[in-house]
Amino acid sequence: MKSSPIGLLVAVALGIFPAQSWAQAKAGKATVAGKATATKDSEGVIDADASGSATAGGDAAAEAPAAGDTPAEGEETGESPTGSGLDDICKIDPAACPNLDMDKEAARPLKEQIFAVQQAYALRVRRFELQAGWSQSLNDQFVGHPAPNLALNYYITNVLAIGVNGQYYSPFNLDKDFNAQVRRAARVAVPLTEYQWGAALNFTYVPAYGKFAGFGDFIFHYDAYVVGGVGAMSVRPIAVIDPDNRNFEYQTKLAFNAGIGLRIFFNKWFAAVLEVRDYVFNDKLESLTASKIPGTGPNGAGNPNTWYGDTSLTNNVQAQLGAAIFIPFSFDYRLPK
Amino acid sequence: MTITKQKTTKRLVSVLAAALALFAFTERAEAQQILLTGPLAGAPAVRKLRLHRKARFEVAPAVSFSLLDEYQRTIFAGARLNYHFTDWLALGAWGAFGAAHIPTHLSEQIQDVNAARRAAPGTSRDEELTAGNLGPDFKKQLASMDWVVAPQLTAVPFRGKLALFQSIYLDTDLYFFGGAAFVGLTERKNCETCVNSFDMASRVAIAPTFGLGFSFYINKWSAIGFEYRGMPFAWNTGGFDTAGGGKDKKFPDNKITNDDRQFNFNQVLTLSWNVYLPFQYKVSE
Repeated sequence: MKSSPIGLLVAVALGIFPAQSWAQAKAGKATVAGKATATKDSEGVIDADASGSATAGGDAAAEAPAAGDTPAEGEETGESPTGSGLDDICKIDPAACPNLDMDKEAARPLKEQIFAVQQAYALRVRRFELQAGWSQSLNDQFVGHPAPNLALNYYITNVLAIGVNGQYYSPFNLDKDFNAQVRRAARVAVPLTEYQWGAALNFTYVPAYGKFAGFGDFIFHYDAYVVGGVGAMSVRPIAVIDPDNRNFEYQTKLAFNAGIGLRIFFNKWFAAVLEVRDYVFNDKLESLTASKIPGTGPNGAGNPNTWYGDTSLTNNVQAQLGAAIFIPFSFDYRLPK
Repeated sequence: MTITKQKTTKRLVSVLAAALALFAFTERAEAQQILLTGPLAGAPAVRKLRLHRKARFEVAPAVSFSLLDEYQRTIFAGARLNYHFTDWLALGAWGAFGAAHIPTHLSEQIQDVNAARRAAPGTSRDEELTAGNLGPDFKKQLASMDWVVAPQLTAVPFRGKLALFQSIYLDTDLYFFGGAAFVGLTERKNCETCVNSFDMASRVAIAPTFGLGFSFYINKWSAIGFEYRGMPFAWNTGGFDTAGGGKDKKFPDNKITNDDRQFNFNQVLTLSWNVYLPFQYKVSE
C-alpha cells in the first residue's frame, strides 16, 4: 500500500512533464506557458487545447501555444514590453530606445500588397499528372462507346502541359436496341461504327482556378482546363446492311480532339477529374447498298471494296470521370506564404 | 523471491499502471473540442460573406437544349423562378416552352427513304411493311416536348470563387435541385387500325426532374448560369409500333398503344442569366 502514493506521484510527474514540454514553442515563453497551464487547468480550456494540438502532429506542436496561450500571454506579458523590457533597452542604449507615436503609426494607411490568390493550393509546374478514368459517349444514340482512359501530362509551366492519352473501346461497344427497332419499324438501316482504341498527343492549358466552401465547413480547390491535340483512332463499321458477307477490319484514322475539364483537388497530389472531349475523325461508313453478285470478284458481295460507302466527319464526344495523381507528391513554393 | 524484491516489483507495477491510466486519460482529453478564447471565440468561419441568395428572388431567363435525341432536338425558351429562404435553400420552378424542334439526321434519312418509296411506282414490299409506321411525312409524326413546368427545391451546398486568367475573379456556387416535371407532349395518337392514321394527340407526362448547375456572379444582382437537368419518362418519340405484341409485349402488334412508349432519360442543358431581387445583397457579419 505504501508504494501506491509513490507510484501516483511519479505518474503525475510523468503526465505533467510531457504536457509542459508540448506547450513550449518559444524558449522565452516557457514560464508563461507553464503558468497558463497551471492557472487555466481548472477550466479545462488551455490545457486541453495545448496538449490536444501538440499530439496531433509535429507541426501542431508549434502552433498549439499560439492558440492556447493567447489569453495567458496577454495577462503575463502584457506589461513586460512597455515595462521593464523597454526600459532596460533604453537604459542600456538610449539610441536604440523605440521612439514611436503609436497612435500616429496606427493611423498610417497600410499599403500592403494583397494578392487575390495568395498561394495556389496545388502547383503543377514541373510535375507529372497521371490520369485514369472511365468515359462515356455523349452524342451517339446508336452505339455506346464507354472506355477506360489513361493520360500522362507534364506541366512545363503552372498552366501549360504536354501529354498523351489513350482509350480502349474494343470490348465495350454497345449496339443499342434502338437500332433494331428503327430497322424493323422503318426498314431503314443506319450505318454504325465501333471503335477499338484511341490515342493522342495533347496540350493542356489551365486558365481558371478557384475554391469552394462545402456546407460552410470544408474547402476544396479546383481548376478548369482546356485540352486539345492530335492522334489516331482505330475504328470499323458494324455490318448491318449485309452482315452475311461483310466482315470489317479495324482501320486507323487521324483524329483531332478538343475539350474542357474540371479537376477537384482532395489534397496537393490527388484530384478527381471530370472532362468532356470531342474526338473528330473522318469515318468511312458501310455502304447502304449490298451487291447481289456472289463471290469476291470486282463487284462481288464478298469483295471488301464494295463494302464501304460514304465518308463522314464524325464527332465522338466523350465525358470522362476519373482521378489524377500528381508526381512528385510534394513541391516547394517559389515565395514564402 | 525476497520481500524487498516483491515490494520493488509491486511498486514498479503500480507506477506503470498509474502512468498508463494517466496517459489514457490524457488521450481522451486530447479528443475534446478546441474551445477558442479571446477575439476568435464564437466568431464565424468567414466574415463579411456576400450572401448572394439569402432572402432574394431569382428570375433567370433561360435557353435550354435537349441532348442525345433520337429523332428531334428541342430548344426551350423559358425562365427559372426561385425564392431563396436562406443562402443555401430555395423553392421555385423552371418553366419553358419548346421554341424550336429540329429533326435529327436520322429523321431526315428516314424521310428521304420514305419519300423515295412513295414516289416509286407501285407498292414495294418495304412500303407495305411500314404502312402502319411511316406516314407521308415522317417529321410530322415525331413526338415533341411542347412545354415544361417543374416545381423544384434547390440546395446550394457549395460556394466559392473562381480566378480566370488570374485577372477576372468571380463568386460562384454549385447547386443541386430536384422536383417534379410536368411535360406537355405531342405524340402519335393511339390507334387500333393504324395504316393511314397518323393523327397526333397531346398529353401531360409527369416525371421526376433533378440536376445540378453552376452560377457565376458577374455583379451584385446578376449571374450567368449553366445547368444540367434530367427528366426521365417514357414516350413514343418516333411514332412507331415497336411493342405490345408477342412474348413480354416486346414485339409489334400493328397498333399504337401506351406499350410503344420507350423509356428515355431525357437530358437538357440550360444557359441562363440570373437576376436577383432586391438588387443589393446582404453581407454577413
